Amino acid sequence: MSLAVQVLFTGLSAGGVYGLVAIGHSLIYRLTGIVHFALGEMIGLGAFVTLLVAAGTQPLTQETVSGGRMALGIVVGLIACVAVGVAGYVAVVQPYIGRSAVGWVAATLALGFAIRAVLDASFSRPAYVFPDPVAFRHVGHDGLVTILGAEVHVRSFAVLGVAVVVAAASAWVLQRTWFGRSLRAIADDADGAAIVGIAVERTRALAFGLAGAIAAIAVVVAAPGAPFETGSGTLLGLKGLVAAVLVRFGGLWSAFAAGLGLGVVEAALGTGLLGHLPGLASYRELIPLLAAIVVLAFRPLRAREAVD
Amino acid sequence: MSTAAAGAVRTSTALRDAALTARERWTELASAGAVAAVAAALAPLVLGGLVATDTLASGAYLALAATGLALCIGLAGVPSLAQGAFMGTGAFAAAHLLRHTALPAELCALLGALAATVLGALAGLAVRSLDAVRVAVGTWLLSWLVALALGALPWLSGGAQGLVVPTRRLFGFQPTPLVHYELGVVLTGLCALALVALRSGPFGLDLAAAAQHRGAASALGVPLEKLRVGAFAASAFVGGLAGGFAVQLQLVADPTAYAPLLSFELLVAVLVGGAASALGPSVGVVVLGLIALAAEALGSLAGVSGSRFQPMLEALLLLAVLTTGGTAFVPAALRAFRSLRPARRPRHPAPSAPAARRGGLRAELLTKRFGPVPAADGVSLELAPGTITALVGPNGSGKTTVLRLLAGAQAPDSGQVRLDGTDVTAEPPAERVRRGLVRTLQTHASFGDLTVLQHALVGVNRTRRDGGALRALVSTPRFRAENEVAEAHALAALDAVGLTAAADRSASQLTGAERQRLMIAAALATNPSVLLLDEPSAGAAHGDLERLAAILTALRREGLAIVLVEHNLRLVNAVADNVLHLELGHL
Repeated sequence: MSLAVQVLFTGLSAGGVYGLVAIGHSLIYRLTGIVHFALGEMIGLGAFVTLLVAAGTQPLTQETVSGGRMALGIVVGLIACVAVGVAGYVAVVQPYIGRSAVGWVAATLALGFAIRAVLDASFSRPAYVFPDPVAFRHVGHDGLVTILGAEVHVRSFAVLGVAVVVAAASAWVLQRTWFGRSLRAIADDADGAAIVGIAVERTRALAFGLAGAIAAIAVVVAAPGAPFETGSGTLLGLKGLVAAVLVRFGGLWSAFAAGLGLGVVEAALGTGLLGHLPGLASYRELIPLLAAIVVLAFRPLRAREAVD
Repeated sequence: MSTAAAGAVRTSTALRDAALTARERWTELASAGAVAAVAAALAPLVLGGLVATDTLASGAYLALAATGLALCIGLAGVPSLAQGAFMGTGAFAAAHLLRHTALPAELCALLGALAATVLGALAGLAVRSLDAVRVAVGTWLLSWLVALALGALPWLSGGAQGLVVPTRRLFGFQPTPLVHYELGVVLTGLCALALVALRSGPFGLDLAAAAQHRGAASALGVPLEKLRVGAFAASAFVGGLAGGFAVQLQLVADPTAYAPLLSFELLVAVLVGGAASALGPSVGVVVLGLIALAAEALGSLAGVSGSRFQPMLEALLLLAVLTTGGTAFVPAALRAFRSLRPARRPRHPAPSAPAARRGGLRAELLTKRFGPVPAADGVSLELAPGTITALVGPNGSGKTTVLRLLAGAQAPDSGQVRLDGTDVTAEPPAERVRRGLVRTLQTHASFGDLTVLQHALVGVNRTRRDGGALRALVSTPRFRAENEVAEAHALAALDAVGLTAAADRSASQLTGAERQRLMIAAALATNPSVLLLDEPSAGAAHGDLERLAAILTALRREGLAIVLVEHNLRLVNAVADNVLHLELGHL
């Protein structure tokens, strides 16, 4: 029982982040019909810009960062993510939309590897400790609380809470604001949206920024939980993509739910909760990836075939 | 004894023919390729002091893998992001075989390549009918799957330190880096030649057509899914072979060496060098090598390892190439070369039509509903050879749906299609085309840069017997003989629509109406007995309409059964024997 609770909370807190990244992927896919292969690297960029502003490149402990400087770091990191998101759309995505698939695939990949290389060149230590925006270690006993016999990190609740709030805010933006309605119109029919006076390109560029911002918030909350590497953002981007593919780039909430589910499945496989199959733990990342490829391969046949 | 002698004579005749054909087709480009090959083989002697030979040898294997990737990207037009994973599969399969068996080194590499081929075929099956976005996502996920599996499964990858690979003699030589380099160059050269052979053959034309317009290619009976699986498997085979030999050069199978970064670098090599030209990927790998040198220099300036800058420079180079309109190095050089010396005009055989096939089509009670809306509601019709049946009706009355049901692009909810007495209701479009039932599309879609003659050849491919990819690879005598016939048939089809004079022009230079006629020619080239035409008059000016009427009348005289979906009633009145009126799916 306590193990199950442990797994559930660990999984949900990881899954909340995956879910937000999945929302970003889903948003971008539905708006432009492409997949942004550099989204994960943008997350990494946001995280490291935050770190740079909050603490420089020096090694740091939880005590060395003041609240004010951390807040400034988060804001700058967020702005950087939005800016790179918008710039990425204008520079490497927009020129190829509807023209060459090889073009945008290669261009977004190149953007991702370029960002990753800049991070690798500037942050040369193997892993970095992220300061907590909130001092969770003072809550409970050393940042842990006991629920049904399981030791659960207080941070898990914060991560999950922030994830749900951000997901709800994104949903609200999509459903209730003019910007969101423009986005949905473009997703439905870009040409039609342009005819009724929606600035398609500008709205799409903003959406790329929004996707970046959603992911950046997620990572700032989640990063302090474990050592953060320059490649961690890339992996988060991959997990988000897997979640989005599993629900076929479906709606916002289904993408979020898929992310949560992915987090729980990984945690369950990783801790040997599912029976005691020897070595199953080492497959925890492989099984969801394989499942995503299978889901991709067996797309439902639509009434109108793609070829005509 | 006499049969052996006769065989020897046949062989020598065939060889002489092949040599003659080669001399006749030899161009300055072929000379340039030969010079490049010799220069590449001699490179270690010149660069000996500058670059370590094992770096060159790794580069040669990278060039081999990139040339294999060009099959997917350049020929099939599919963004495959898993070539590094295929290379890794070949490397680790070969490494395990070398460790646990006493098999010769070459055989281990070959078996590694076969393992990669299996994975490639599976990947091809998974993405066989997907659009480019999903192909990119699927292959990217596969690339990560292999990389993460190598990282997570020590029994597979030997853990963090990898698998140490025992050395064995290669083709009788001590496996020095120089031997590996020369082997890599020879294999890359062979692969480039194979690419050239495939590109101009039926397999390449079909792939190019499918890459340019899937719908139009499918209507002509091109087996899209089979082709894509084939392209992926072949591409993975070459990548796996490169991996299987490269791992013997590196002496250890390193699980981190086959990360998605490798797939990205191979993509960069192909796109920078030029996906469409056989030597482009190799040139791209040379450029990557120069980038590595530049990164090294930059790194020593900044005081960090140069490998940190390498992906950034590669990414910037790729972005630069993409933003300048995708002018990859080799195609740009080719264009400059061609502007200096115009290409020779190819010689064509005299047009000759194949023996005509004649037969009728019968549809019984075809019904297809989209939700509650019937697009076809119990449609029955009968077509006799040598008649034109016009299908008219308002927009949305189901005309195109009826054509699609007849051609097999869509399965009916109920009803039957019989071609010359045979029930073909369950057969896919490609099979129906082979039996003589072909359709053209409403749009004036064409296959982009293919020439007019090549469009018709895509149609002729459906009737070929000795046109398989393997025959094309080794260019067997029967294959070459059939080529002549195929070209004559294609020219006859162009003749029927009055486009013979345009045979060597690119289809993108034609007018809309000419492209409609071109696609009719491509359909005729499949030697059909039943022709289904969807609005051939779309985009036709006044003169075009009369021309079209004349073409259709001539085809009827030859005995074809034609269904004509048309809005233009003047054309219908001019040529149709029967007029069927369709309203809400009802006749």
